[in-house]
Amino acid sequence: MSSFFDIGYVFEAIPKLLSYLHITIEILVLSIFFGLILGIIIAVPRLYKIPILKQIATLYISFIRGTPILIQLFLIFYGLPFIVGMVGIDITRMDAFIFVVITYTLSNAAAFAEIFRAAIQSVDYGQAEAAQSIGMTSWQTFSRIVFPQALRVAFPNIASTSISSLKDTSLAFSIGVMDMMGRGDTLITATMNALEVYVALAIIYYVIVLLLEYGYKFIERYLNRYLVKEAI
Amino acid sequence: MQLDFNFIMYALKELSKVIPFTLFLAFTPIILGFVIGLIVAFIRMSDLKIIKACANFYVSFYRGTPVIMHIFIIYFGFTNLAQEVLNVSLNGIPLYVFVLIALTLNAGAFLSEIIRSGILSVSKGQIEAAQSIGMTMSQTFRRIIFPQAIVAAIPNLTNICTAFLHATSIAFLISVTEITGTANIIAASNLKFLEAFIAAAVIYWVISILIEVLSAKIEKKVTKHIRSGVVQNT
Repeated sequence: MSSFFDIGYVFEAIPKLLSYLHITIEILVLSIFFGLILGIIIAVPRLYKIPILKQIATLYISFIRGTPILIQLFLIFYGLPFIVGMVGIDITRMDAFIFVVITYTLSNAAAFAEIFRAAIQSVDYGQAEAAQSIGMTSWQTFSRIVFPQALRVAFPNIASTSISSLKDTSLAFSIGVMDMMGRGDTLITATMNALEVYVALAIIYYVIVLLLEYGYKFIERYLNRYLVKEAI
Repeated sequence: MQLDFNFIMYALKELSKVIPFTLFLAFTPIILGFVIGLIVAFIRMSDLKIIKACANFYVSFYRGTPVIMHIFIIYFGFTNLAQEVLNVSLNGIPLYVFVLIALTLNAGAFLSEIIRSGILSVSKGQIEAAQSIGMTMSQTFRRIIFPQAIVAAIPNLTNICTAFLHATSIAFLISVTEITGTANIIAASNLKFLEAFIAAAVIYWVISILIEVLSAKIEKKVTKHIRSGVVQNT
């Protein structure tokens, strides 16, 4: 039995894997940060119905939603040096980490763009009219009236996108990034304890997801603080 | 360096041969997982304390860990168990079987959530009405709750279908030759990685769009009787 599954090694592996946790977190934080910015940029043409740009944004979102993240990872890894190479810049030796951040940013941006669009459209147009009728400028209307309400609708979706993004980072090692999965691979080659290493990794991911969910619940409660509670 | 369009066409032709296998890998888990999901959903809505806690853990664990872990743990778990405890080798079993098992368990977790929210979307008044005219619990479920729950679940089921199609690409990491794996093989033997993965992306994209179109058609058909708003839909 002990040779089938060595529970002791699971606990031995966890600290070794955790020393690479910061890479995973860096990928996650950077790709969510840039993804939010790019997501807003992509959502604008569809919200304001700008011709041509709107179609491009729709096509972009459809492509990202229609292809696996692994394929997107390979397309960026092989495609970006090709595209940049056409203007004479050589990035074939660029750190794989950057390719991963770019891929997850592009992927998150598509998801966020859809979330923003739905959230902003969920705010009744009468509210914007009311804001303007009391003399707010269009920026004031957006930042004080529409945005806070849209954020409340968007937040749970942003939270769940960030959690699936965390899980997706486990594929980054396939283009050679040394994150927790990459470290796990080297541990397996060294010790042959594949099952134990993957169980340890699963535990780490699970705990991070639970912590994130717990944290998001607090933020959600904060965003909903003005909602009138149903009478009991 | 230039893009070799002829090679993309060649790759598209080669990759389309493994589409049926990829669809088999994606949809078998959904069908089998539906049964698991149904059972788990019922357990989670019941009052069976300990089993309920297990079901909750199963769902939260599978939703909280990457698919690649499920595949690796099932693969190494089964082969180690067979080797060390039963002293048999599982080398004869094709690798995709492990992917099917992992994805089925994964589908069970996600589908149980979808089924549960579908069932909860049916108002309690309907269940009471069904029982008041003398339907048994199983009749109420089969004739009243299930048909409505499944309609409410169509958008989520569509998402699951595309998510699982995309998840099969991970099977390539344990050398299963589905679309991504095949793309990798023909890319490596011709040293044309970008072209091969462009072809793979196109195939995934087209299948995903087809799934969405099909589900929109089905949804339109099964919600035809629902009338709402101020203008009659035709």
